[in-house]
Amino acid sequence: MKVNIKNWNAVATWRWDIPEDDVCGICQVDFDGTCPACKYPGDDCSLLLGKCGHNFHMHCILEWIKQESAKGQCPMCRQKFEWTEQQNETSIDTTRDQVEPLEMGTEPV
Amino acid sequence: MSAQFATKRLGKELEKIHNSLPPGIELVSAENFEEWQLDIRVLDNNPLYMNQTYRLKFRFGSSYPIEPPEVVFVKLPDRAIPMHPHIYSNGIICVDLLAAQGWSPVQNVESVCMSLQSMLTGNTKNERPPGDEEFVRANRLRPRDIDFYYDDNTV
Repeated sequence: MKVNIKNWNAVATWRWDIPEDDVCGICQVDFDGTCPACKYPGDDCSLLLGKCGHNFHMHCILEWIKQESAKGQCPMCRQKFEWTEQQNETSIDTTRDQVEPLEMGTEPV
Repeated sequence: MSAQFATKRLGKELEKIHNSLPPGIELVSAENFEEWQLDIRVLDNNPLYMNQTYRLKFRFGSSYPIEPPEVVFVKLPDRAIPMHPHIYSNGIICVDLLAAQGWSPVQNVESVCMSLQSMLTGNTKNERPPGDEEFVRANRLRPRDIDFYYDDNTV
């Protein structure tokens, strides 16, 4: 029997490469979702991974860090908030290699 | 920061609060995202607070949770203002956690209630803050604008 595939749609899902079911402590939204200011998750609303081990949506933590009362400290542990090298810039492009495709599958036509 | 930041965050909190709250904490009202009221009780046998329920009023600004909520105890016919060296008799609470220098945006309504609960639990002094009468008479400022002097961090 010969099967001709006429059409197929690829479907991919992704999530940030950090422990699942975790939420951003500032907005309380899943890391895989967006901060309250954004519409689309992923590159448009990336994460900052703190060297202290605490992660936040970039927009959330920057909102906090720019407050004088934050004193540059992590909201969780009050250590100086520094984020890991690969995300050294606040440009959304620096996080691109963090997106990891998890599943690829085909959808029945 | 967009104003919807606060409402989205409060929506998340309310969802969680409706599911469960720790013992001794109850939601009284949350009709909007500006003001909520909760009741707290002390769970141990501290004679200062035994069999008493206290009413807390939270007011949220549009910068919540980057900025702390304003939290006060409310006096009602069946709700007294708890006796504590950091709680003025008009319900204003002088606590680091709720001031700009002690607040953290990972705090939330539930964690604030729990902190206040344990602040009462751990207290043994049947006292108001120094200068309570004068402060209550003269103060016209909102809690957030008061420059408290934290003279004793052990209570």
